[in-house]
Amino acid sequence: MSARARRVGLLVVAVIAIAWPAILSDYSRSLATDGLISGLIVLSLVLLTGFVGQISFCQYSFAAVGAFTVGSLVAAHHWSFWLAMPLGVFGAAVVGALVGIPALRLSGLFLTILTVAVALFFDRFILASGTWDAFSGGLSSFVVGRPSFLGVHLDTSYRFYLFVLGTFSLCSLGVWNFRRGKTGRVLRAIRDAEVAASTLGINLTAWKLAAFATSAALAGLAGALLAVSIGSVSTGGYDLVHSLGVAAVATVMGVNSVASAAAGGLFLVFGPEILRHLGVSSQWFNLITGALLIVQLIVTPDGMVTDFQHKLGHLLRHRAARKAPVPATELDVRDDVPVRTGVRS
Amino acid sequence: MTPRFSAALLEAEHVTVRFGGVTALDDASLRVNAGEIVGLIGPNGAGKTTFFNCVTGVLKPDTGLVTFDGVEVGGLPPHRRSRLGMARTFQNLQLFSGLTALENLMVAVDAHSSRGMLADAFRTPLALFEERRAEERARALLHFLNLSDRADTLASDLPVGLQRRLDLGRALVGRPRLLLLDEPAAGLDTRETADLAELLLRVRDRFNVTMLLVDHDMALVMRVCDHIYVLDFGKMLTEGPPAEIRQNETVIRAYLGEAVS
Repeated sequence: MSARARRVGLLVVAVIAIAWPAILSDYSRSLATDGLISGLIVLSLVLLTGFVGQISFCQYSFAAVGAFTVGSLVAAHHWSFWLAMPLGVFGAAVVGALVGIPALRLSGLFLTILTVAVALFFDRFILASGTWDAFSGGLSSFVVGRPSFLGVHLDTSYRFYLFVLGTFSLCSLGVWNFRRGKTGRVLRAIRDAEVAASTLGINLTAWKLAAFATSAALAGLAGALLAVSIGSVSTGGYDLVHSLGVAAVATVMGVNSVASAAAGGLFLVFGPEILRHLGVSSQWFNLITGALLIVQLIVTPDGMVTDFQHKLGHLLRHRAARKAPVPATELDVRDDVPVRTGVRS
Repeated sequence: MTPRFSAALLEAEHVTVRFGGVTALDDASLRVNAGEIVGLIGPNGAGKTTFFNCVTGVLKPDTGLVTFDGVEVGGLPPHRRSRLGMARTFQNLQLFSGLTALENLMVAVDAHSSRGMLADAFRTPLALFEERRAEERARALLHFLNLSDRADTLASDLPVGLQRRLDLGRALVGRPRLLLLDEPAAGLDTRETADLAELLLRVRDRFNVTMLLVDHDMALVMRVCDHIYVLDFGKMLTEGPPAEIRQNETVIRAYLGEAVS
């Protein structure tokens, strides 16, 4: 896609993202908010799976670290959200790096199983009542109020939506900057050929751990936001099934594209909602996602959003080419490159 | 054996590697002097790749020393050796298939910069500066390799001959002092091999780089190497300049067979 087309597209998306929710109902607005928060978790997978090629089925466990840190500190210890949230994000990053350590030696199926184990460990042990009630709240849940941001209290659904939209946009921009910068190249290089990357001077350990930590930090941030969005933190919402769902949706949308994050997050939240409107139980949503996953893997192996972007870019290029045909005078001058033959003695 | 009198850039002394009961390398020693192109030849399974992996740090020898420019590098991981000025190409290429030709070279420049993820996330002036510099260096090398028109092609979409050139470029772009080439002529026909020989000589002069070359292709090795080591069953059979090796009875028996009679 050309830079100009992308800029125009982004502007349109920004205007819609800011203006449209202003006329929606409170309920739809809060759904959109939760969609963007889920989008952050999809974004964390874009970084981990899309760049480094590591599969994770425990992103919601990282989110739980953020959510319960905020929940326990704000509700039980009256901390400010602005202190608890960074601590939660940092905690998630640390847990992510810890999960990353065994992942240094594992890949593919074995890594997948490891992340499943982490998800179960969190859900069934750490968050189970009786293990660490000060953190998990035991059988009750933590009640968390909305914070203020720069003096503005985020108590209305629109204000909070804008706050989440801003956070999501900044994180997406950051990941997009990773992608087009050194970080993206290095991580994708590691994904494609580890040994070659290390002989070029890339420290595999440091980069993989950094990727895991950053991905987990994004998920942790999502968890912290989810806590204040829902207004309470309780166990059950951060289990393996959620992690599997978000991984499936990230794959369907395309883990290579930053734009998948928004699309995936909104799909995760509005999908079941649309089913409910149609009079179908939202239980069907997982089945539909599964079916989509199969179709997508066959039809658009790179993911739906990625495929759409390719097609759109192609279309725009074609139109531009028709408007202003490029003169075909690009004869490469190759002065210093001999293509000699028959040099054998 | 002809004595050689310049300074050693790479020195491997009494390197032994065992895989279970198999001795892949048995007390093998080798020296590469600055400015030379040294060849390492031997039949399949002689231990060439094992030796290579010991030098680059992919493998740790059981005993023996590997010294690069006077520094013992035996315990250093590959990325540290790279920073000391070693680079290698791969027999099976190992290009970053999902990256473009340009990105494949840029990442080799990136690898030696110390900026981290934060600088990238915020696109600090340093990040932008280094980004531009990496791109300039990558483009200059693409031009040298006659790959300029393929800058934005995915590495996996390039024909094999060009992939091999890109692999060489990726090793060169970090400006190494020692370039290790693992069977660069594998899969090339006679004409392409001849072109490669020319290219390697040009690379040495242009980039002032010392080379250690492992290959089966006698035409290539004889054409470009100043000095040749012969490896057989994990042991160094003999060494010498190409003319001597060509005539060496043991080598002919062990490796060359009828081909050079």
